[in-house]
Amino acid sequence: MASGHVMKRVKYKTSVKDPGTPGVLKMSGDRIAFIPHNPNSASKLDVNFRSVKGHKNTKEGSNKPPWLNLTNDQGGSYIFEFESYPDMHICRDYVGKIIAKSGEPAKTAPAKPDMIAPDEQINTAELEVRIKLLREDSELQKLHKQLVIGGILTEAEFWATRKRLLEREYGNKRKQRVGFKSAMISDIKPATDGRTNRVTFSLTPEIILQIFAEKPAVHQAFLSFVPNKMTEMDFWTKYFRAEYLHSTKNAIAAAAEAAEDEELAIFLKHDDILAEEARRKIRRVDPTVNIEADQGDDYTHLPDHGIFCDEAKETSEPQYELYKRTLAHDINRHAAVVLEGRSVEVELEGTKTVAEALARSKQAEAANEDSAANADQEWLKRLSRLTEIEDLQAPHNHPVAPLCIKDPRDYFDSQQANAVKILGEDPLGTAKRKSAVNSNEAFGFLRECISQVKSVGLHDPIVKSKDALQVFNALAHDISRTKYDVGKISQESALDKLPSTTKEQILHHWASIQELLKHFWSSYPITTSYLYAKVDRLKEAMSQIYPQLEEIKKSVPANHKQQVSVLVRQMHQALDSAFQHYDADQQKRSAKSDQRLNGMRE
Amino acid sequence: MAPAPSKLYADDVSLLLVLLDTNPLFWSNCALPFSKFISHVLAFLNAFLRLHQLNQVVVIATGYNSCDYIYDSSSATSGSSGTGKMPVFCSKLLENLEEFVIRDEQLEKGGPGGGIASSLLSGALSMALCYIQRVFRSGPLHPHPRILCLHGSQDGPEQYVAIMNSIFSAQHSMVPIDSCYVGAQNSAFLQQASYITGGVYLKPQLLDGLFQYLSTVYATDLHSRGALQLPKSVGVDFRASYATFLLLIACLNFWSLPSGIIIISYSLSPLSVIRMSRCFCHKRTIDMGYICSVCLSIFCKHHKKCSTCGSVFGQQAQSDVASSSNKRKMSDS
Amino acid sequence: MPQVRIIAKNFMDMVAALPAMKLDRLYQNAFICEAILRSLQPLAKKYVIQMCYIEEPITSKSLEEWVLPGGFSKHKVAIDRLLQLRIFSESFDRTTGTSYRMNATFQINLQKLITCGAILPREPMPSNITIRLPSSQELETYALQQWECFLLQLINSAQVERMTNISPSMMRIFQRGLLTQRDKETPRLTESGFQFLLMDTNAQLWYIIREYISNSEEIGVDPEDLISFMLELSFHETGQAYNMNTLDEIQRNTIKDLEDLGLVKLQQGRKESWFIPTKLATNLSVSLTDSSSRKEGFVMVETNFRMYAYSSSKLHTEILRLFSRVEYQLPNLIVASITKESLYNAFENGITAEQIISFLQQNAHARVAERVPSVPENVTDQIRLWESDLNRVEMTPAHFYDEFPSRDVYEAACDFARECGGLLWEDSKKMRLVVNTEVHLQMREHLRRQK
Repeated sequence: MASGHVMKRVKYKTSVKDPGTPGVLKMSGDRIAFIPHNPNSASKLDVNFRSVKGHKNTKEGSNKPPWLNLTNDQGGSYIFEFESYPDMHICRDYVGKIIAKSGEPAKTAPAKPDMIAPDEQINTAELEVRIKLLREDSELQKLHKQLVIGGILTEAEFWATRKRLLEREYGNKRKQRVGFKSAMISDIKPATDGRTNRVTFSLTPEIILQIFAEKPAVHQAFLSFVPNKMTEMDFWTKYFRAEYLHSTKNAIAAAAEAAEDEELAIFLKHDDILAEEARRKIRRVDPTVNIEADQGDDYTHLPDHGIFCDEAKETSEPQYELYKRTLAHDINRHAAVVLEGRSVEVELEGTKTVAEALARSKQAEAANEDSAANADQEWLKRLSRLTEIEDLQAPHNHPVAPLCIKDPRDYFDSQQANAVKILGEDPLGTAKRKSAVNSNEAFGFLRECISQVKSVGLHDPIVKSKDALQVFNALAHDISRTKYDVGKISQESALDKLPSTTKEQILHHWASIQELLKHFWSSYPITTSYLYAKVDRLKEAMSQIYPQLEEIKKSVPANHKQQVSVLVRQMHQALDSAFQHYDADQQKRSAKSDQRLNGMRE
Repeated sequence: MAPAPSKLYADDVSLLLVLLDTNPLFWSNCALPFSKFISHVLAFLNAFLRLHQLNQVVVIATGYNSCDYIYDSSSATSGSSGTGKMPVFCSKLLENLEEFVIRDEQLEKGGPGGGIASSLLSGALSMALCYIQRVFRSGPLHPHPRILCLHGSQDGPEQYVAIMNSIFSAQHSMVPIDSCYVGAQNSAFLQQASYITGGVYLKPQLLDGLFQYLSTVYATDLHSRGALQLPKSVGVDFRASYATFLLLIACLNFWSLPSGIIIISYSLSPLSVIRMSRCFCHKRTIDMGYICSVCLSIFCKHHKKCSTCGSVFGQQAQSDVASSSNKRKMSDS
Repeated sequence: MPQVRIIAKNFMDMVAALPAMKLDRLYQNAFICEAILRSLQPLAKKYVIQMCYIEEPITSKSLEEWVLPGGFSKHKVAIDRLLQLRIFSESFDRTTGTSYRMNATFQINLQKLITCGAILPREPMPSNITIRLPSSQELETYALQQWECFLLQLINSAQVERMTNISPSMMRIFQRGLLTQRDKETPRLTESGFQFLLMDTNAQLWYIIREYISNSEEIGVDPEDLISFMLELSFHETGQAYNMNTLDEIQRNTIKDLEDLGLVKLQQGRKESWFIPTKLATNLSVSLTDSSSRKEGFVMVETNFRMYAYSSSKLHTEILRLFSRVEYQLPNLIVASITKESLYNAFENGITAEQIISFLQQNAHARVAERVPSVPENVTDQIRLWESDLNRVEMTPAHFYDEFPSRDVYEAACDFARECGGLLWEDSKKMRLVVNTEVHLQMREHLRRQK
């Protein structure tokens, strides 16, 4: 675990090509120092962490040596080659924490996409969110510093309990993603060199992605043909050949060519995958129409939004229908893809990677939809609810079951027993006091009292001045006592009365105790050795809080001593109960293991 | 929320519903004679009526076998006049009270042989709340209602649910329940009632000065309570009311879970209370347990059916357990 | 806008203004004690009731102990009022600080009240002697009719068919302050008169009673006696008959006047005569801040500034005419519209927008009173806007300085005026400035020093 400082043998490189200087990397506090073995070497290094803006590292399993690359604010970088991956990871974690702690808007620049394995490393976005949260919430930062940097909790453990916080933050923070261009792919015009008949299409990964997205059949074909059946070059040549045939609007010629070349046919025929997808989508259409939503979409009055293909020219013969793609098709498909947005987050490099990434995201989508398939029923229900006319329907009454407690005595008694136990009262005193007189006498007595009052009238004066004053003074005294007492209700004011440093200290301790206890209790029952270690660690940390609390108690001025001790007592109680549980559990464990030992002996 | 607070009378016009404990078994054992008690109370009611022309008092007798309205100042005609001995309304009230006691005695069947001497607090509370509801609906102008329990008998566990329901209903319509308890031990019910509804619970130490307690604490109208600090039982011990506390936890932390069994693995500050909790099935002290989400009974292990309220826990219970352990694994890894 | 406050809002002010001796004498009467207790602020009531049986002085500290941080101003007001009314007397001790004790007379009366109830000097007459008593409904209608008739006569004698028996001299006393009359012209309502009309009945009643009482000295009646009698009357039960022969001469005269105001109804039997107090009488001891005496509303205002008033009362017509244009009148309906002109007219007469709005709100018809807001917001806003239109120019008394000997002196003068917060206008080119009159003297001092 990361402690106060880290020392590792490394090779320091100024650039990737540099063979490197062997030496020792020392990270402590806010400084990074590199001391070369050869004291004469010029490549000594001693920089402040504040100048470090980010870090990258190579991935374990890749064929690269374990490198850690720290970028500084001047745009330069320090590369360290470690002897092993674990060494590197320790340093990386350390750097990460320091950067997070320093509260600078530091970034861990993402390494190359193929170097990221999502489960191994928290992605940049999440890290950024964490840093942001820490920066905004000084309480949290303090806690983080104490618990995580202090080595009591790991980074992951700390954040695991704050998933919701992260999610929320992540939710509002997600940046706008780049979508597809709204230009259609049919606009990709070939460049002709003018001398030969050759036309050249220049394809960028961007365009390829768009083609794949809009034409699932092409995508499918690419995945199955390239590179087994044909080269990428051939594939695209064929594709553009098909496109060319389309653009000639010559369905007959297209049909003829398709008959010869089955691969070409794939490009020319209607896209089955598309049709399937469309059908699936239709099933999910929300039947309620939002008329207003379309109002803004009316662009017909704007220039440059017309159709530049002339539909009328196209022949329509039923047998060639298969090979005919209408413009409406294209436009609709294009619009759908653009609106759907891009779900592939990759650096666009090779066609292959693009195709694969797209396939992956499609799969994920499909998986989602599969799981949604059994939600179909629910969807249908929702549908009928959406379309219903509210005032014609019976109200949706949620089923209500009346609370019936068979024997309230049971319920209350066990509570009473609890209460009595807490307060240490004698349960028999309240519950079982029998009346000494029988009811007739009692009723008679009561009536007698009433008629007595009736005949005599009210005493004058009702209360003696002495009694009245005594009662009033007692009440006033009560009031003044509760006002300053650290009761449940006046806790706030009690805290406010303390000197601000003490108050802060107490609040901080309370927060950290809460955090520790949360982790402590959530580790039970202990099922793995990991949890066992964690509980030990937590216990250690908690026991360290005791003397600190005592110190606070000692340090406060005498007039606040009582209030502070009440507050501290509550914390002590909370901790005590955790320790008790720990001890009890420990005993149980040892008893069990003894048994097991005994069992083995027998 | 009271239905329409803007339409209440201005400032301090109050409607006071007094629940008078007339349990003969209690009064025959009490250090404070009933005659003294009732004359203090009558004096207090008179003083209260003097405070504002429109102040209104309704007295409900909480008997041993029954409870009934015994006085309503809005239907009585003579206001402040007196006969020389006592105000007219007092003698009227006493007459009604006497009749009530006789009726109550006639209802008495087997005698109290071994029974616990508790009065019908739940019935009286419900009657008071009914009256208040009627007042709320009577028209646009109505006084601020509050309930004052003048009680001495001990709690009757069999009334637990009914009383809790009344308390919650009072809380819902923002009617504070003040309680003045003259019995020997503190009343968990009334402490709870006053705590939940924001009323005052007080156990007078000097019974000879009862009037002074009443006039100093309970005569304070709701309007003035905004400016005054009234006695609070120091750190309301949650005795019976820790069910409320559990309810609170349930509301805060587990509300999102579907019904079924809830696991308390950790609670916030009043940890000691949870630690002291005893399960309903074996009366064992536990620090981790299952709470019935319907009646909040606590169990030390998973049951198919709640033994207190009979709610059946479906499959969700299992899945909850599973999902929470999943969660744990996730947070650990 | 000049703030006119003609009416002491509370009759307590009147009582509080009485000299100490008279006040102590008033407290001899248990009814006065009760009436005063009722009209106190809630907090003060609480203090009185808790001190009721304590004869020893209570330290102010022990009272303050109860007060929450937000309640100190209320506490202060309550204690001040109690001291002012001499219900509490203050004493100071070096060790315990300020302490209060209760007025002994008041305390004893209050204790008696609590244990014995108040005893009226007269019993209601048995029903076999009295002939048919009016029902409470009838009595209320009667009271309102009397009161409206009186009001109408008060503001516009010409309109009334049936004159009340109030002597013209008495009427003139009531009209004093509400009406002005120049020579032979018909009397005009003054600003206070307009405001008077828009007040609720209870406040109007107390204004009249106050005038009545303060006038009593002129005719040789002790005002304390009158106050006692009125308050006593307010504790009589409405609808019950009380024999006239229990009253003395002065009281009998008074009660005749009160009949004209609608406070009591007089009936004559075969042998005896009696008076029946109405709600107006019993409301006398109700604290005036309360709206509990509110009567049934009758006005509906629409968002188009049209007003429908379900009333056949001439008085209502007159009141509505104060700030709106009455368009037509049906037997039970007045239709009027609020226009800019009608409102300007009202503003000119010294009625404020707030008064009009609160009148409309207080008298909203039961159907619209349920709604929030009972008067449409656009109407209330517009009324306020029109009022503020008239107040665009603000007059500030000021002094104008020019012909400064040098720029330095001018600059210094400007700075000085600015520091004092009284610089209203400056023209540095021509070296002139205008300052508020308040700082004129200081300014002159300053300039003198400069020389």
